[in-house]
Amino acid sequence: MVLQVLVVAAGAPLLAGLMRQVRARLEGRAGAGVRQPWRDLRKLARKERIAPHGTGYLFRAAPPLLAGTTLVVAAAVPLVTAASPLDGVADLFAVAALLALGSVALALGGLDTGTAFGGMGASREMTVLALVEPTILLAVFALSIRVGTTDLGAIVTETASSPLSVISPVSLLAAVALAVVTIAESGRIPVDNPSTHLELTMIHEAMILEYAGPDLALIEWASAMRLTVMLGLFTGLFAPAGIATAGAGPIMLLVAVVAFALKVALLGGVLAAGEVFMAKLRLFRVPELLAGSFLMALLAVAASFFLA
Amino acid sequence: MVIVPVALPLAAAGLYAVFGWNRVTEWLGALSAGGLLAVAVLLARAGEGSGLWGLLRVDALSAYMLIVIGVVALLAMLASPGYLRAEAATGHAGPRAARSYGIFTQCFVAAMATAVLSASLGMLWVAVEATTILTAFLVGYRRTRKATEAAWKYVVICSVGIALALLGLVMVHYAAVHAGLSSREGLDWVSLAGHAGGLDPGVTRIAVVLLVLGFGAKAGLAPLHAWLPDAHSQAPAPVSALMSGVLLSVAFYAILRVKVVSDVALGAGFCRMLLIVVALASLAVAAALLIGQRDFKRMLAYSSIEHMGLIALGAAIGNGLALGAVLLHILGHGLGKSVLFIGSGRIQQAAGSSSVDAVRGLGGRAPGLATAFGLGLLALLGLPPFSLFASELGIVRAGFAAGLGWAVAPALVLMLVIVAGVGRAAGRMLLGTAPPGLADGSDGRLRGAGVPLVVGLVACAVLGVTLGPLRPLLESAVTIATAGPPLSAMGGAR
Amino acid sequence: MTDPVYVQALDLACGAFLLTGVLVLWRRDLAAIIWLFGLQGVALGALIAVRGLHEADVELTVLGLGVGLLRAVLLPCLMRRALAAGDEGREARPHVSVAASLLVTAVLTMLAYAVSQPLVRLAPTPATQAVPIALTVLLVGFFVLVTRRRALSQVVGFLLMDNAITAAAFLTTTGVPLVVELGVSLDVLLAVLALQVLTTRMRAAFGGTDLDELRELHD
Repeated sequence: MVLQVLVVAAGAPLLAGLMRQVRARLEGRAGAGVRQPWRDLRKLARKERIAPHGTGYLFRAAPPLLAGTTLVVAAAVPLVTAASPLDGVADLFAVAALLALGSVALALGGLDTGTAFGGMGASREMTVLALVEPTILLAVFALSIRVGTTDLGAIVTETASSPLSVISPVSLLAAVALAVVTIAESGRIPVDNPSTHLELTMIHEAMILEYAGPDLALIEWASAMRLTVMLGLFTGLFAPAGIATAGAGPIMLLVAVVAFALKVALLGGVLAAGEVFMAKLRLFRVPELLAGSFLMALLAVAASFFLA
Repeated sequence: MVIVPVALPLAAAGLYAVFGWNRVTEWLGALSAGGLLAVAVLLARAGEGSGLWGLLRVDALSAYMLIVIGVVALLAMLASPGYLRAEAATGHAGPRAARSYGIFTQCFVAAMATAVLSASLGMLWVAVEATTILTAFLVGYRRTRKATEAAWKYVVICSVGIALALLGLVMVHYAAVHAGLSSREGLDWVSLAGHAGGLDPGVTRIAVVLLVLGFGAKAGLAPLHAWLPDAHSQAPAPVSALMSGVLLSVAFYAILRVKVVSDVALGAGFCRMLLIVVALASLAVAAALLIGQRDFKRMLAYSSIEHMGLIALGAAIGNGLALGAVLLHILGHGLGKSVLFIGSGRIQQAAGSSSVDAVRGLGGRAPGLATAFGLGLLALLGLPPFSLFASELGIVRAGFAAGLGWAVAPALVLMLVIVAGVGRAAGRMLLGTAPPGLADGSDGRLRGAGVPLVVGLVACAVLGVTLGPLRPLLESAVTIATAGPPLSAMGGAR
Repeated sequence: MTDPVYVQALDLACGAFLLTGVLVLWRRDLAAIIWLFGLQGVALGALIAVRGLHEADVELTVLGLGVGLLRAVLLPCLMRRALAAGDEGREARPHVSVAASLLVTAVLTMLAYAVSQPLVRLAPTPATQAVPIALTVLLVGFFVLVTRRRALSQVVGFLLMDNAITAAAFLTTTGVPLVVELGVSLDVLLAVLALQVLTTRMRAAFGGTDLDELRELHD
């Protein structure tokens, strides 16, 4: 479990770097290298902490809260191993709530600055969140019906033991829904553009516009981890091959780590490649996309009853 | 023998396709309709029979419907040559349009004949949907904006309605297969009625609702009636006569057949409730839109909704007297409505508009046509001696006798409202003096009102006095529609 | 075909059927909508063929291929031709916004599930349990028909309903008698042809296919 947290914590910025590198190469640039995000984080962390004038404790509390919740989720969700000591916590509802808590904290932090962009970003983030959270819940719930428990570890273990059961309408619908939500949740194209510098189109970036130094480093790191966790959860639910189950030896764990890294890197690469060929959606169409994914998730739940 | 009523119009359609519409072939349609009527009478005398590998079957009910089709088609086809000549004179239709008119009307009649002769619900459905497509082109015949709009709405609404009926058909088939019938027998009217007791009530209930709503859409019953006034007002007058006079009744024939199955499978109450709701809604819609109606073709169309509502009410009451009245009403309405639509076509061509205000004082300008139109309206409003009086009286009496006074009473009130609305429009059209400027030029065409109007009115009046040789046929048709012995003879209605 | 494989294949076909139906509601691009409709035709054909293989019924399998051909190739081709004749390629402003209509679909799904309970209860097999999916697509088709403004979208809505009914027929039983099925297919083909002709006339008369222009006839 500790291993899992470490892998996620250390690997997340690398994933971000990898995705940037893929984009750069596809766009014909050399790119800054996979380790660039770590270097950025180190540079930011060395800087002095400053907070904008007039901000309160909310502003300061948001980054650690975000990072903290993400770390707990990283520990609870079955990524490398399905057997977590936090088994009671690795519940679908707990995980969704933790993710939401992080988002809300950040949105509050953005609001606390009192600037126009912070507020705008926060309001947009909440719009997205309002549709994302129920979608995650429904999608994973649809998958859990087959297993009969909302414990994520159990779902993954069950899927790992019968990988063919993934090819069912329930899983497919849930997969589509989760994929859209993963993209939205981690603020990527077509919902949000992580590398935009145009404030009017920002969602995530607008909220953290006022952060600097170690706070910013914490947020960037946490965001990368969220992406990793979501991608990891996605692979865990739909392609759990190689995941370590309870009582696995050190070699199995090593295999699991490598498999996890490979799968997530692959998904991240595909995601980045997709971003190159896609334009960001206009903001008012984002709810459409998310409503669509919500519907998919609902249909997945419905289908799991229809086609029982 | 059974196949002749379908083959005859199809052959005529083929001849139209080859030779086009000209001085000789223009009477071909009337000839085939006359032949259809003759064959229908022969079939009615011959009793039950089947043909085309068991796909078609004739019994008293379908023979009776076939006679209605034959009569109305004959009237419409007799009126067609004159109508098309006038259309050509005003530049609305060239020879190509006239030819496709010939082909489509004949195919349309053939499709209706197939519908009433179908041995199974499946064939019936296919034939009824075919009538939608065939008449779509007839409705859009003039190619104006209005005609195109009407045709589009007609196809979309009717296709959707009939799609509901298809789903109902699928459900019936499902229930029938699980009641032990083979897939082929599962839609056959005779085996369905015979095994109706074994149908699963839950599934059958859904199926009956869908079938009644679906075929009700095609029969012009609320809630899917919106296409009817548009289509009937835009189609060429003889086609309006066919659509309003028989097509609606053919669709209702399907409901009558469904009701037989439903009454055994679910008890009489279910279908009765459904039909009463639909009937009263249709009457209410018709009444609301007939008050202050300014377009006389639309007025006739709404009156069709009213009469289909009455027929549905009669079917809901469902005893022998009511169903006899319903069948008589179908024939009487077919006659009266076709006379009126044919007459209205003449009036429209003369006045250049179908607005009530454009034909003020018709009585002074074209007394013959005005008399025929006026008498037709009186028939439609259910005044003696026309047969609609007898049939409406029959429905009302049967309703009160069956303890359904609570449904019949509001229907009577709504009918009174309709009488007032239609009477007001008729007064403005027929009576009074024509405004200056309208009176000249068009009178010549108004006079050739023609044989079909007189024939139709006389037939309608005769039926109001005596059933004559139709009585035994009507009685056995009622036996089939009630799925039991008739409660009382039709004589009770007089 | 063994049972688990049959169930999985059937479920997969049904899932694809449902997904394509719902996606029609989501896309605005008419070309994409027609494409999705074609995909749904493939899913429908596959569904029937799977049923046929399971029942070892050659006629049914061939019928599946025929239905697939009609609904995945022929009808989309017709509609593409109608689309190419005009220049408006998008469903610009539907009466109900896309996001709202997707949420409405969620409600329609529940409705379809509730309505179809008696149907499933009569004979709970894997096939009949998928009937709610057909009914959902039926309702989605109806919704498209009511809320979209382009003539072509309405046609697609109507055809979605028809696909759904066909699916229901083959899920509840092994299909209605062949003569009826052929008649139904012919009628649908003719209906689409008629609508295509009317679309052309509408363009000539109204200069477009926006159905909101159709407002000359009213009381």
